[in-house]
Amino acid sequence: MKISHEKIKTLLPLYLEGVLDAEEIKLLEGHLTDCEECKKELEGYKILSKAFKEEEVAKPSNNLEIEFLKALNEEKNKQNKVIPLRKKNTENLGFKNLIRIAAGIALLIGAFMMGKMQEAKKADSELALLRNETLKIKETAMLSLMENQSASKRIRGVNYIEDFTQPDEDILKALTDRMLYDENTNVRMAAVEALSNYTSSKSVKMAFVNALEKEKNPSVQIAIIKNLVRIQEKKATGPMKKLLNQEDTQPFIKEEIKKGLPQII
Amino acid sequence: MVKDYNKEHLLKELTNEELMTSVANGELDSVKILFERHHIHVFNFLYKMSGDSMLSEDLTQEVFYKVMKYRSSYNHGSFISWLFTIARNSLKTHFKKNRPHDDLENISYKLANENENSSEEYSQLQLALAKLSASDRELLLLNRFQEIKYKELAEITGSTPGAIKTKVSRALKKLKTIYLNEL
Repeated sequence: MKISHEKIKTLLPLYLEGVLDAEEIKLLEGHLTDCEECKKELEGYKILSKAFKEEEVAKPSNNLEIEFLKALNEEKNKQNKVIPLRKKNTENLGFKNLIRIAAGIALLIGAFMMGKMQEAKKADSELALLRNETLKIKETAMLSLMENQSASKRIRGVNYIEDFTQPDEDILKALTDRMLYDENTNVRMAAVEALSNYTSSKSVKMAFVNALEKEKNPSVQIAIIKNLVRIQEKKATGPMKKLLNQEDTQPFIKEEIKKGLPQII
Repeated sequence: MVKDYNKEHLLKELTNEELMTSVANGELDSVKILFERHHIHVFNFLYKMSGDSMLSEDLTQEVFYKVMKYRSSYNHGSFISWLFTIARNSLKTHFKKNRPHDDLENISYKLANENENSSEEYSQLQLALAKLSASDRELLLLNRFQEIKYKELAEITGSTPGAIKTKVSRALKKLKTIYLNEL
């Protein structure tokens, strides 16, 4: 491969630097054998290279080293000053600081607990308020459902009683009304079942007695009788005896009364 | 004393980078070895750049002070590159500070000329170098006297080894012409 004279000229200054690769050197040396101009150039670089090699290394005065060692010592002192300070700190971290840290942690925990307690209190009262409100909404819903024309909705209303732990008189009154006056047997039955949990109330007891007198449906009658026997309501004995004497009373009802009456008396 | 001697003896076998890493880790004494190894080079670079030996001593002092002060910023790369980057910046900062309206190129050149009749004695080569641009002079000084490789030169000047090679070639050609004309 023939290489241009110009290319060689850019390689020539680096020839004596020892940075050309083997191929570049080969090309260059090949070119030099038949190019007088480049040969002359190279002579110039040889002179320059010699000058570089012979250039005296300038010596700084001793002052430089002295100043440097001084600066080094200062820097070391700065560094050393930091170390004893740290040591002191770690030594003091014994008893006094431990107490301080402990007190700090105690304060932190105390404050945290107090905050948490207050938060809980607040949350409790809020929750109670919320529960109260939902109960009120439920009560309204329950009462209005029980007035509904549809029997199934009235039953649903009656069954809402499960959500109340302590139903008020309004609810109990509404339930006893269902038991006594509802035209639908299933609603009356549901009301009997709902009220069976609240027999401690006098009005409920009285309602059972009244219902027994009025009720014509045998299955509801049975449910009422069972409840009255369970609570041992003495006032129920009158209506029960009356039922026994009535001719149209179903035989199995009479059976139930015969079984229950001795338990009451 | 024996222990100290052994320690220094061991330190002297470490590379520049190992020594500088130990300096960065707080072993300040290691910087002494680095100073011994390199302060002449740094001084010569600054002297041949500026032509002012007093200034070069001050700046060399400053360079090694910076090596200690900024030891934690040493990036574990080539120590020589780092050292001469500091030297170069110190020189630039000095010229900027003292003659803010002049360009670094002009100052170095002027300085060399002004000093021609002063107490400083320059070699022919140094006078020829002074007539180069500062960036050309810098490249040749670092490359020829300090024997810094092209890869490191590229790091110091923020260039690539290939570009450095071309620049060195051109600078040498210019220098040869100046030098031979003055002989």
